Amino acid sequence: MSTDTPVQPKIRIDSVHKSYVIDGRQQEVLAGVDLTVNEGEFVSIIGPSGCGKSTLLNIIAGLDQPDSGNIELSSENSDKHSGTASGRLGRTGYMQQKDLLLPWRSVLDNTILGLELRGVPRKQAREQAMEFTEAFGLQGFEHHYPYALSGGMRQRAAFLRTMLMGQDVVLLDEPFGALDALTRVQMQEWLLQLWESMNKTIVLITHDVDEALLLSDRVYLLTARPGRVTLVLDVDLPRPRHYDLVTSPEFGVLKARLMEPLRSQIQSIQSAGRSTGQTA
Amino acid sequence: MRFLNKITGLLTWLLPVSILFGVVAAWELWVRLADVPQWQLPAPSEIAKELGSSSDLLWDHTLVTLKEIVVGFLAALFAGLVLAGGIAYSRVLERSVYPIVIASQTVPIIAIAPLLLIWVGYGLTPKIIIVALICFYPIAVNTVDGLKATDPDMVNMLRTLGASRWQVFTKLQIPTALPFMFSGIKIGVSVSVIAAVIGEWVGASEGLGYLITYSQPLFLTARVFAAIFVLSVMGISLFMLAVIAEHLMMPWHFNEKRSNSMRQL
Ligand SMILES: Nc1ncnc2c1ncn2[C@@H]1O[C@H](COP(=O)(O)OP(=O)(O)OP(=O)(O)O)[C@@H](O)[C@H]1O
Ligand SMILES: [Mg+2]
Repeated sequence: MSTDTPVQPKIRIDSVHKSYVIDGRQQEVLAGVDLTVNEGEFVSIIGPSGCGKSTLLNIIAGLDQPDSGNIELSSENSDKHSGTASGRLGRTGYMQQKDLLLPWRSVLDNTILGLELRGVPRKQAREQAMEFTEAFGLQGFEHHYPYALSGGMRQRAAFLRTMLMGQDVVLLDEPFGALDALTRVQMQEWLLQLWESMNKTIVLITHDVDEALLLSDRVYLLTARPGRVTLVLDVDLPRPRHYDLVTSPEFGVLKARLMEPLRSQIQSIQSAGRSTGQTA
Repeated sequence: MRFLNKITGLLTWLLPVSILFGVVAAWELWVRLADVPQWQLPAPSEIAKELGSSSDLLWDHTLVTLKEIVVGFLAALFAGLVLAGGIAYSRVLERSVYPIVIASQTVPIIAIAPLLLIWVGYGLTPKIIIVALICFYPIAVNTVDGLKATDPDMVNMLRTLGASRWQVFTKLQIPTALPFMFSGIKIGVSVSVIAAVIGEWVGASEGLGYLITYSQPLFLTARVFAAIFVLSVMGISLFMLAVIAEHLMMPWHFNEKRSNSMRQL
């Protein structure tokens, strides 16, 4: 990878290793992951379930520390050192796989949680959030409790909570995972528009090849556990993009390139499963 | 569906009420037919009459007992919540104080009631202390459990939003603990009436418990029953107050989804 890019890398990850005790033994989850995300880029990470995608985001967000390797976050407005987990905490907007809305707070009060923790007065924070409820499809539901919301709405509320923090780097862990195909497409288009108008750097985890290609400038494909990058695919499709793109021939070519290693991975998992009963 | 709900709702009331009514009717009938003497077992109608004729007397003693319960309970609530908060927040307190709190429950509080008379005299204070001692334990222990029942994923979510330890405590641990705290409060309220009566039995000159011990040797059995009746009404009312407070403070906890899925169980 070239180091003399004109744009500044926002996130830089060098050979990150991480292992956990799983089923009573120490197992490697990330086996040397390298990844670079430049300012304003939309990057997707795709890989089989359990390969360590969420673990990687946890490490970037500062919830976890890698066993070895380097993580650098660059942002103008922080003098905290990004080499330590605690130094990275609170420097990125992180929307986790679960929506994690607080059941005792209304939708609106859930979205302002981050602002409130920062000391913004409630009234002011609410006003700030109200400006975005329409764009996030929450209008009319601001004063409902989360249990009264659909899965898609809950995820949009969690998303707004993340975005209100105003961080320029945003990590999204399968934000549309719990949605049906139709709502998913709607949300993807919506996210496309949002990102194109907001100038954010986004890292998105997904299982969905179409989603990754449609949204991203670059896709990282990870292997099955222990996860490492097997393919970096630049998606040089023109922007602004729309969902119709999915049926275009250029899209098909890129999809084929992504599917091929994915398919061979699945085969290797299956054959390994047949010979030893489990994957290493 | 809605109609069915209404019927089941009515049944949940109708069933216990009709059972209670049946028991009272059988009691009345038995006392009359078997000619049971008044001083042994008064008929429900006699107890009702007594409630009417001694209402002033009962009311005065009720106020005394109620005061002991309310003051003792509030003291227990305050001490229980503060201590639970300290135990959940500080490792040192958890290691040092919590074992003592748990061990204290093995001390028969009823047995120390006579000692309290020696130390603080015959007034309201020893009764209040007994109520407080008995209510304290369920409130404190349940609240500690609740403060520790936080979802670790929620804690991490708050940390990514930049929350401090104290903010995790106030924004997450305390709301999580509320349902547990109310379980403790409901248990505390239920035993508080018993605690006050016991306190009065050991030595008192007023209160419903005193009225019972005073009336019993005089064979004023209807009055004993009237006092017991008032105590039960008091206990049920206090419990319902706790339930109302619970609903007011945690509307999210009693949402439709939850109650529906519980009904389906
Ligand atoms: N804190 C932890 N302690 C122990 N094991 C963990 C921990 N976090 C993750 N793991 C394990 O590491 C592996 C990778 O988990 P991770 O959540 O990163 O996978 P993933 O790629 O996000 O999967 P999915 O696509 O299903 O969300 C899993 O086997 C998981 O059980
Ligand atoms: Mg995951």
